[in-house]
Amino acid sequence: MMTPFDGLLFFYILILALIPAALLGLLGRPVKHWAAVVNLLFLLLIFSSPRALLALGIFAAWETLLTVLFRGLWRTVKKRWTLWLAVALALVPLAAVKLSGLLGWGIGLLGISYMTFRALQVLIESYDGLIPALSLWEYGFFLLFFPSVSSGPIDRSRRFCADLACTRTREEYVRLLRGGVRRLFTGALYNFVFSKLIYTFVLEKLPDTWWGLLLYGVGYTLFLFFNFAGYSAMAVGTSHILGIAVPDNFNRPFLARDLKDFWARWHISLSTWLRDFVYTRFTMASLRQKWFKSKHTGSYLGYILTMLTMGIWHGFSWHYILYGVYHGLLMCLNDVLDTRWKAFKKMKKDKRWQPLLMALTFVLVSVGMLLFSGKLI
Amino acid sequence: MEETVMNVLAEAIGTEADQLDADLELFEEELLDSFGVISLLVGIEDALGVRIEPTEITREEISTPAKLIACVQARM
Repeated sequence: MMTPFDGLLFFYILILALIPAALLGLLGRPVKHWAAVVNLLFLLLIFSSPRALLALGIFAAWETLLTVLFRGLWRTVKKRWTLWLAVALALVPLAAVKLSGLLGWGIGLLGISYMTFRALQVLIESYDGLIPALSLWEYGFFLLFFPSVSSGPIDRSRRFCADLACTRTREEYVRLLRGGVRRLFTGALYNFVFSKLIYTFVLEKLPDTWWGLLLYGVGYTLFLFFNFAGYSAMAVGTSHILGIAVPDNFNRPFLARDLKDFWARWHISLSTWLRDFVYTRFTMASLRQKWFKSKHTGSYLGYILTMLTMGIWHGFSWHYILYGVYHGLLMCLNDVLDTRWKAFKKMKKDKRWQPLLMALTFVLVSVGMLLFSGKLI
Repeated sequence: MEETVMNVLAEAIGTEADQLDADLELFEEELLDSFGVISLLVGIEDALGVRIEPTEITREEISTPAKLIACVQARM
């Protein structure tokens, strides 16, 4: 089995596969047909063992069948319970894999967390009536798009399909190609140089003392950033060269002035997915149906629920759950400061205060990453 | 309709409608956040019966009061 964006062979085949895509784009021709061939080839390379291919096939067939049935049913029965049922069924494979990890059943599928979130988006937006048409080829391509199949970014189907439908002019493609190549190189530098250096010369050298642990939190935060932002940049860069403008996943997160700002800059595709499909929906329902006396109570519970979902999405482990609750509480505190302490908003805009706020945000994020690392519990 | 939308927006932000310029950048100026958008959408639904689903619109489509009004108008 080949690991995406790892090893010389992967990059050798990737470059060979991207050259025809770039040539087609530069001639102003559609890239999507070649992109589909490349996608199939890489899926076979990444999921090359019979076991992995079978797991991917069962998962894709399950989600596709569910989506086709749900979209068909929606035209005649637009009831809320049908959406809940479809969402629960779409989560079955993910729950099985996560439980399997916990109980040692030996069922696994690379990228299932990411693919499941893409499948859920299609179900929920179909219910909202936002996806009037979606062919099987579009759905399959979106669900199993290889650059982002294993670790995101989590694209949205309407954006993805709009890219499939359009043929870019030469000039438009040149811009996309330039950005794609830049992201591939930046991503490789982050992932193969900076993150490896931090791992080898910082994380592995720290002593087993309390201050060593504190430094580990800082080092691990930087390591995760270069590792994951680097991976994401390579995935986004590859997608762009294939004519699919998958959105960026990181935007200078260490310049964040508070936790809300941090989540708008870190693993953006996951945080915006959770914002749109967990936080907003829960909080909106609480306001519409007046579940609580104060409208802010719904929002605070929404933050806790959203961040808890984020934690559990990483895995059924106590340290992930704790990580989620920690960020949920910090988001509530952030909101209290935003709404109750007028000076806070002014401070965030004031250049003299910004370095301090950025440093404080970094410390809070590092404590979270220490929890996430599983070093504490 | 415009007045109603401006009142709902002002309430979501926690200010008065006459304080809001039509081209004010609501997200850049940090006047609206995720919760602000939710209050706004629920408020518009209550006041005008126009239901807008959370992912139906992008932040760019409602980034100023003028754009927001156009967005609601298109759905009436």
